[in-house]
Amino acid sequence: MTIDREKLPSPAEVVAFRDRILAHVRYSLGRDWEGLSGRELFQAVSLAVRDHVVDGMLATERRYRDEDRKRVYYLSMEFLMGRSLGNNLHNLGLHDVCKDALQEMGVDLDEVEAGEVDAALGNGGLGRLAACFLDSMATLDLPGFGYGINYEFGLFRQEISNGRQKESPDHWLELGTPWQIERPEERVVVPLYGHLEEVPGSDEAAWLGWEVLVGAPHDMPVVGYGGQTVNVLRLYSARASHDFDMSIFNQGDYIEAVKRKVESETVSKVLYPSDAVEQGRELRLVQEYFFVSCAIQNILRTYRASHDGFERFSERVAIQLNDTHPALAVAELMRVLMDEHGVGWDEAWRTTQATLAYTNHTLLPEALERWPRSLVARVLPRHLQIIEEIDVRFLATVRERWPGDEARVERMAIVEQGVDEPQVRMAHLAIVGSHSVNGVAALHSELVKSQLVPDFHALWPERFNNKTNGVTQRRWLLASNPELAELVTECVGGDWLQDLDVLRGLEGFVDDLSFRERFRAVKRGNKERLARIVRDTAHVVVDADTMFDVQAKRIHEYKRQLLLAMYVMHEYLGVVEDGRMPLAPRTFLFAGKAAPGYWVAKQHIKLVNDIAEVVNNDPRVQGMLRVAFVPNYRVSLAERIFPAADLSEQISTAGMEASGTGNMKFALNGALTMGTLDGANVEIREEVGPENIFIFGTRAEEVESLRARRAYDPVAHYERSAVIRRVVDAFDSGVFSPDEPGRFRWIKESLLQGGDPYFLLADLESYIVTQESASRLFLDEDAWTRKAVLNVARMGKFSSDRTIREYARDIWGVRPVTLRPVPVPLEV
Amino acid sequence: MKIEAQHKGDVLVVKLHESRLDSYVATEFRDEMDRYAKQGESQIVLDLSLVEFVDSSGLGAIVTTQKRLGTDRDLVICGANEPVTRLFKLARLDKIFQIVVDEGEALAVLAS
Repeated sequence: MTIDREKLPSPAEVVAFRDRILAHVRYSLGRDWEGLSGRELFQAVSLAVRDHVVDGMLATERRYRDEDRKRVYYLSMEFLMGRSLGNNLHNLGLHDVCKDALQEMGVDLDEVEAGEVDAALGNGGLGRLAACFLDSMATLDLPGFGYGINYEFGLFRQEISNGRQKESPDHWLELGTPWQIERPEERVVVPLYGHLEEVPGSDEAAWLGWEVLVGAPHDMPVVGYGGQTVNVLRLYSARASHDFDMSIFNQGDYIEAVKRKVESETVSKVLYPSDAVEQGRELRLVQEYFFVSCAIQNILRTYRASHDGFERFSERVAIQLNDTHPALAVAELMRVLMDEHGVGWDEAWRTTQATLAYTNHTLLPEALERWPRSLVARVLPRHLQIIEEIDVRFLATVRERWPGDEARVERMAIVEQGVDEPQVRMAHLAIVGSHSVNGVAALHSELVKSQLVPDFHALWPERFNNKTNGVTQRRWLLASNPELAELVTECVGGDWLQDLDVLRGLEGFVDDLSFRERFRAVKRGNKERLARIVRDTAHVVVDADTMFDVQAKRIHEYKRQLLLAMYVMHEYLGVVEDGRMPLAPRTFLFAGKAAPGYWVAKQHIKLVNDIAEVVNNDPRVQGMLRVAFVPNYRVSLAERIFPAADLSEQISTAGMEASGTGNMKFALNGALTMGTLDGANVEIREEVGPENIFIFGTRAEEVESLRARRAYDPVAHYERSAVIRRVVDAFDSGVFSPDEPGRFRWIKESLLQGGDPYFLLADLESYIVTQESASRLFLDEDAWTRKAVLNVARMGKFSSDRTIREYARDIWGVRPVTLRPVPVPLEV
Repeated sequence: MKIEAQHKGDVLVVKLHESRLDSYVATEFRDEMDRYAKQGESQIVLDLSLVEFVDSSGLGAIVTTQKRLGTDRDLVICGANEPVTRLFKLARLDKIFQIVVDEGEALAVLAS
């Protein structure tokens, strides 16, 4: 079904929808319309929408059951869903109906939508990718389900106080959410801890002394565009087991029983606030196992409902591991098949490998998970036994392939030996236990093969592949930039919503003056909207006529917010010391959260705010330079930022960003990219053409070569270039921190004495030169707009629909299950 | 704890009259089973048909009984409901003990 976007809602539809809202106000909330709070209004509207969603969800599940087709399960520690109301309305084709119904009641839909709390169950790109994938799977009518954790506290809220990040808890579920349906009858028991015990007369050891958690599922429906398919994201909350606690209650120890109950529930309490896993944290390991075990049990229960035996399991089930966080699925699936269903090792292993597939998301060594063997032995003794048996069998294969090469055996082992504390390498476990290993951009996938795990690639080259990330155009253009979406639809029709390549048709409008004017007017409106947000949240007044130069993403050294900060410093010093005015007036906007324990990243936030304080209060640069750090970056704020950006900063050290998806969202909304040849920037350049993107800096292979040869000398750059020297010296001159001149001296030291591991000084000059090109182009409004239009037109490849089609075809072997019978329509 | 034991031929059939075999009763249960082992019973059937829930302490008590019996004496479990059977499998006890449907089948297994 395609939503007819030309069709206006009929009066009957609008009235029926209004009545449905009023019915929920009265019967679900128990309130009168008068005196309804904003929160209650959001709930009532959401429940009215949910009625439609639930109908679709039940019809979809019926269809899947009847057709008995292969299902795919996406296991991810993070799902950064953001707000659901607007997205669901768009995907159901009810946006205008709802808008009109509310208008009749004197309510603005935008305000209702703004009242929704983000579901911030993720840190950044990895979690948002999972959310985009769910949207695409539903839109493509694929039987695809997410499994994750129903964190009670999502990613922390960020406030800026005295220029520094302050974290506060994000209790997003405090007032409940209309988008979750609890399924108490489908709770599962998760065993952990305990020990293995030999029993005389048996070769098998018993797993005894375990404790249990209960996984309580909460289903979050995921509406595909057109509303035909409504899939489910199943999020588990950890609960104490009533049965198991009874034992303690029965012994009269009420306090101990309550304490245990509280401890059990901490497992799903909080999302770890870091892209890089905090190593060795027992709770994190328990979280990973908890949701994996819940998912595997549920997947098997669904499969067993219509199949006997496991011979056809991998023909009916595909499981994708989003990074190594769910890698314990290898051991858990083996355990459940063997221990709970009596399948022999060989069949269980064939089934596991044929079912699982692994996506690698990072080349950063600190983000590659390793767990101390002793910890795994204590938390998951039976799983460690299985992992070690897998390892023994796997290393026999390695020895057979490379006889006598024990160094390679050591490098490839799942359990790293020869160190004080043996470690379980989760990436190795995931690779060995999967039939597919993919990276998330072409460059990244090559680096996975050549740098990260070359031994594995040599052993199983056929297992490695690339799936360049993508983003859903429904959220990142239709919902977040409705004015541009409307203009695009007017020009090329509405099919781009399900086939982003249709945007190519915009190329035919690039020479149309009135189109370009309208395109600019849309951007201008979005910039004004963002300017109001910046004023209200960062307390900085910015001018929508200036270039909005934006870097919005997690704060991390490799993403190099520091490089943009250094460019701002360069521009400022150029004005105040040389009297050189910037070519084009710019507003530099930074947004992003730093992991609470990441001191350097938090200092970078302070630096940006200190620079902003100096620049924004200096009359010499007024009207030319403006800097703001927009607090509390999250999905709903990103939806306001991307449409308003002129220039998108994608400036990571080459070879370090796996893909990036912010780069795609900015370009889709008509921003030009200023980037290094890293991650998906490489492919964005291929698509938009090198003349429509600003590329600078050291290439990945050069970075690698300089590192390998230890040939990079930042001091030489400093000594050679007066431009670099002035910026670097400003870190300890106190010009940007007059209240504490030495505050940023450590940055200078890290760049010069610390070896500048992120190659800032290597790239600064070419960055400045390229930024000047961007400024010159910005002065030519028409030329800039042409390039911006071409960027939008050529973003077709970066739809997550394309990515998911590739996963479905190459890895999962799943096909769409399209609608046959029309479901009984709700009386709208 | 209520436990009923009666000989059927050479076999001692022990029936637990409790709905839960958990840490609350596990010690007493283990001691009772220990007593049967010490009195030289060579074949024991443990009937769990009235038991609705077993925790890992209960399973541990059964394993201890098997250890006391050693390798030359037999312990067969019968009557476990589906959730209890699942916990036996989780602990891998189905690979260590014979677990059968009912007392009749248990006696037949021991007779053969």
